[in-house]
Amino acid sequence: MSELDPNSSEADRLIAAALADHVRRPAPRRLHDQLARAHLAQRSPWRTRISLASAFALGAAVAAAVAIAVIRPPVTDAVFVDEAVGDHLRIIDAQHPLEVASSDLHNVKPWFTGRLDFAPPVSFVGDDEFHLRGGELAVFLGHKAAAFVYQRRLHTISAFVFADTEPRPRSETTARGFHVIAWASGGFGFALVSDVGWDDLRLLEARLRN
Amino acid sequence: MVLSRKPRLAVVAERADELSLAEQALAYVDELYGLARHLCQTPSDAEDIVQETYARALGGVARLAPAANLRAWLFRILRNCFIDQARRKKIVLEIPDDTVGERAVSEVWDAAALDQLRYLAAADLERALGELPVELRFIVLLDAQGFSEAEIAEIARCAAGTVKSRLSRARARLRATLKETR
Repeated sequence: MSELDPNSSEADRLIAAALADHVRRPAPRRLHDQLARAHLAQRSPWRTRISLASAFALGAAVAAAVAIAVIRPPVTDAVFVDEAVGDHLRIIDAQHPLEVASSDLHNVKPWFTGRLDFAPPVSFVGDDEFHLRGGELAVFLGHKAAAFVYQRRLHTISAFVFADTEPRPRSETTARGFHVIAWASGGFGFALVSDVGWDDLRLLEARLRN
Repeated sequence: MVLSRKPRLAVVAERADELSLAEQALAYVDELYGLARHLCQTPSDAEDIVQETYARALGGVARLAPAANLRAWLFRILRNCFIDQARRKKIVLEIPDDTVGERAVSEVWDAAALDQLRYLAAADLERALGELPVELRFIVLLDAQGFSEAEIAEIARCAAGTVKSRLSRARARLRATLKETR
């Protein structure tokens, strides 16, 4: 056995925390889709047994859903979240460094000048818990957006900022294993995406809102 | 109206149970893939064993006992799928010898060394994990997924005492490897 330094249990704790972060790795979307097709498709035999009355009820529900979809704004929450997660994946999967790689917000923010038709209202420079890694241009819901990239332990957090006049209530959603917090403020939309825990993501939200 | 032998409500309930099992099981895809990715050599191997896990779990090959822990059951099937895949690929899995203790290593974890662990690079952690024998890696990753020692024993089909000693050895090796990388 090792001659244990009293601090080795603290080392174990730190390694365990890093491992807990590290072991989380979202499955590819196609795997989710394949599994859902293979195992949720078993509904169909049951559905064939539903009564005529149930079929009418189902039809009415579908019609109502279609009507709601037509009335609702074209960008649904699901589209919004899917786009945010897709952009985040592009950032973390990119083989190249960030377009502006700097821990200094005073280098990152000016880099967006001339590349966006707005100045992203972000003033959080990063700290010991959330290191600023840099920024990227993103295309979010068909418009150019600023992506600020922060690091929390082993996690990458993308903070997307885009011009958005839509009144968007604050939301928390999980998609493809990633947490997404979205809100709107002062004519801008914000979306935070990461596989970090909710508490950490909310902490960063609070820092960005200050 | 012709009544079936089984009450209609019972038939519907059975179907609903099947659906809810599939739906509940599919909530663990990311966790299973995360672990598989650290066991297998390639992403496609990891996807294969996750697919096979669900095929066995939901295709009637494996049976979930009433009131059993669904999550632990899925991980146990995943482990079996991984072992089968390794056999097919003729990969020899190193089985840890539980009768042999870790070699004595003097460890000093001062504030600077602990600080370095706080900012551990993912690549260093990946390398340290890769150096663990697969069974130790499996157990330490289950621990990282939040399973209790009793659950890990159930998944790995070994005694709780074996889990305890393997976890301790895995942690000691991780500490030693990560200290050497500094």
